[in-house]
Amino acid sequence: MSTSASSSGKAAWREPTKEDKPPKDADLPEAWAFLKVGVEHIMTRLHLGMSYSYYILLYTAIYDFCTASRPTAGHGATRGGASLQGSELYKSLHVFLSNHCKRLREESDTLSDHELLKFYAKEWDRYTTGATYVNKLFNYLNKHWVKREKEEGRKEVYTVYTLALVAWKNNFFNHFANQGGVSRLTQAILRQIEHQRNGEVVDSGLLKQVIESYVSLGIDQGDYQRANLDVYKEHFQTPFLAATRQYYKNESSLYVVANSVSDYMKKAEDRLDEEAQRVTLYLNDSTRKDLKETCERVLVSDHAELLWDEFQALLDADRLKDLTRMYALLSRIPTGLEPLRRQFEEHVKRAGLAAVQRVLPAAGAVNEAGKAEVLDPKSYIEALLEVHGKFGEVVDGPFRAELGFNASLDKACRDFCNTNAACTSPTKSPELLASYCDQMLRKSNKDLDGESVENALNQAMIIFRYIDDKDVFQKFYQKKLALRLIGQLSASDDSESSMITKLKELSGFEYTNKLTRMFTDMNLSRDLTEKFKEKERNRAASSDIDFTAMILGANFWPIVPAPTNYAVPREIQSTYDAFTKYHSEVHSGRKLTWLWHVMKAELRTTYLPQKYIFMTNAYQMAILCQFNENDSLSLQDLLSGTQLQESVLNAQLGLLVKAKILLQDGNNYDLNLNFKSKKLKVNLNQPVKSEQKAEATEVLAAVDEDRKFVYQATIVRLMKARKTMKHQALIQEVTAQISTKFTPKVSEIKKAIDLLLDKEYLERDEGQKDSYSYLA
Amino acid sequence: MSAEKKDSVILQTSDDEQFTVEKKVAERSAMIKSMLEDLPSQDSMIPLPNVSSSVLAKVLEYCDHHKNEPLPAADADADDSRKKTSEIGDWDSNLSQVDQEMLFEIILAANYLDIKPLLDVGCKTVKLTTDQSLSSNMIKGKSPEQIRTLFNIQNDFTPEEEEQIRKENEWAEEWVQNRKSDGLAC
Repeated sequence: MSTSASSSGKAAWREPTKEDKPPKDADLPEAWAFLKVGVEHIMTRLHLGMSYSYYILLYTAIYDFCTASRPTAGHGATRGGASLQGSELYKSLHVFLSNHCKRLREESDTLSDHELLKFYAKEWDRYTTGATYVNKLFNYLNKHWVKREKEEGRKEVYTVYTLALVAWKNNFFNHFANQGGVSRLTQAILRQIEHQRNGEVVDSGLLKQVIESYVSLGIDQGDYQRANLDVYKEHFQTPFLAATRQYYKNESSLYVVANSVSDYMKKAEDRLDEEAQRVTLYLNDSTRKDLKETCERVLVSDHAELLWDEFQALLDADRLKDLTRMYALLSRIPTGLEPLRRQFEEHVKRAGLAAVQRVLPAAGAVNEAGKAEVLDPKSYIEALLEVHGKFGEVVDGPFRAELGFNASLDKACRDFCNTNAACTSPTKSPELLASYCDQMLRKSNKDLDGESVENALNQAMIIFRYIDDKDVFQKFYQKKLALRLIGQLSASDDSESSMITKLKELSGFEYTNKLTRMFTDMNLSRDLTEKFKEKERNRAASSDIDFTAMILGANFWPIVPAPTNYAVPREIQSTYDAFTKYHSEVHSGRKLTWLWHVMKAELRTTYLPQKYIFMTNAYQMAILCQFNENDSLSLQDLLSGTQLQESVLNAQLGLLVKAKILLQDGNNYDLNLNFKSKKLKVNLNQPVKSEQKAEATEVLAAVDEDRKFVYQATIVRLMKARKTMKHQALIQEVTAQISTKFTPKVSEIKKAIDLLLDKEYLERDEGQKDSYSYLA
Repeated sequence: MSAEKKDSVILQTSDDEQFTVEKKVAERSAMIKSMLEDLPSQDSMIPLPNVSSSVLAKVLEYCDHHKNEPLPAADADADDSRKKTSEIGDWDSNLSQVDQEMLFEIILAANYLDIKPLLDVGCKTVKLTTDQSLSSNMIKGKSPEQIRTLFNIQNDFTPEEEEQIRKENEWAEEWVQNRKSDGLAC
């Protein structure tokens, strides 16, 4: 049979033929002599090829040797021949492989790093390829003798491929480590990696090959199919991590001395990426976590103080890229971000306070009209929003919207939104916010279209979330809404109801209930007025008075009658009577109270050559109607004619005199028959200064009044559920429940408890001073 | 050596007869399959010095019939499934038509060529024919020695060796062992 090798010209190799094959019952020396040649050929000269027939001959020789039934006499042992035969064959193979590996030692001893790695990788490749073939060739041994030995619990018996690995490990691989310290082979790898870290080009593929052999050499005693990383970890990973730690320790400590923190962060980030890349390139993936931790400890944790110290400077200079980098680095280590969050919170708070300071009018500043400059709600809210917006972007951008930073932002905003230079009392900020909303929603707000108003309201809701005393906002908002509705000053119903929806979403139905009812009243009033007018027309009661009534539910509207008398002017008496009568017909049993102080009137002049329309309030109308009879009246006449309080009357007279409708002469008031105005519509309905100031105090008084009930109601609710409670626990629970509405004061809670004790809702427990019981 | 991938191979038996078969038929033999995978393809024939032409013909008949079935997994788990299922496929029951000596030859060839399913079916067939023998009182009341004679088994083992052999050649010995104890009980 011709050999396949002959064509390659290697005369040294002659493939054995059928004639060389030992007989079926050959003994070990004879059989092994034949097999050894074949195994050696596969392990070292596989590139020369192998014919089918030679392969089959080798396979058959093994098969024959293992299955030969031969008398035991030849071996003289009582233990059976079959077992011994397998064992002998296995041993012979083991010795052969071991010798093969030992020979590699001598060749490798003189090689330097790179040559050593190249030699190792080449031999490893050839060896494992050969072992794969031999393993298949010895399949019969694997499947019968090895299998049974293993089943009997012999741990040191392996299938042929694994046996080859064991031989490699014991006779070649371990040889490098036996020279003391870190294995020479591993040192060669580590030096290559160091070269690469220094920016030199190294053969990553070669490193990968050698490192993979470490993984292959981990042989699991229980199941050698399973990957076992013991060898890799002990001989490579541990020294590798130590070298990595040392390398970056040196590098980073030198680098920070000579470079800025910003540059260091770039460097650290690059290094961390590079090391992650290294795992992908040629390490076992199990190293990823440990390598990452090692690098993070040396590159980030060890320099955390430095980074923390730099944080403020980066914030001050708005260095977003550096902030992003700092976040990314510090988020890698435990507790790395905590100091940043604290600093960030302080920083935002300072920025917020400074922003308010900037919009605050200087002390003693006066406006054009000579009045003390007041804080514009719009500038105030916009200042708050600007700070929130700016740092919200920092949180969303550099800080990846991380929860902790969001919490810091919220906490800082809550701080400066409630207490700042403009708001020394916690009720001021909600008031300013309500005023801001009022400005946005009024008709006079001409520069904004519907969409922009919507945006502004959404922005307002951001501040609303931070406001502690939400009940104060509610009261002011309600008051201002009432004025908008009564005065028909709303820019759009859509915007109004959109705002109410937003408030409802955040604070619940109860919070906006009154606001919604106010809208309902407005609609009902429109219908009622229509029907009333219709009825008047049918009655053909000719009246040239155009009359519109708003019927406001006393419980929902924050408006109480003014504390002054009012004589209904003769001119509108009939309409007044007709409507009162009509209302009692429609809603019998309801009490109608006329709110003269919020009424508006338009009067047509008949006494001047030019017809003017005076837009007045009810008081001014009453005063002017007196002049239908006389052109000149004394204060006394007016007092008795209008029934108004003197202070109210004087204030309104002042306005009319100032507008030159009336001319004052001591206690006498004359109609100015020479009145002239550029406009045909003259608005006389100006707010009186004292009223404006009174408004805020009035609202706050209402808030305080409401709060008393909230305290009491909360206490009663709790006590009813618990029956008895300790004083301290009660205070705590009440505080917790109320703080969603406003910041409760302990002194007020105590007052409410005393009040409830007096009213006998509660009693002190006998013998226990600090405990209360609920009285049904 | 031919560079192109051939789809047939030539098998040469111990008595020098040649069989040209589809590659995938030959590859039912795990031994031949792994050799073909490992060695570059070549024109030369594949000698099978341990198989005679009459046996190989039968074996190839089996391989040809099953050539499109998935090959059994190479790992030891297949042993379990072999033990569990005692059924023999319709076609495979043809094996019981051959005489006993041929059946043993087929089993040996299957073992040599590493054709696990054929080895399984061969052993099952042996069991089946033995059961039939038992039920037809062929061996009822016979001593172990007589049964050995019936099944052409030499008892040249010491008890330790017998145990050893049983383990080593479980695939073929199992039924002997079972029958032996059954026979004793009869």
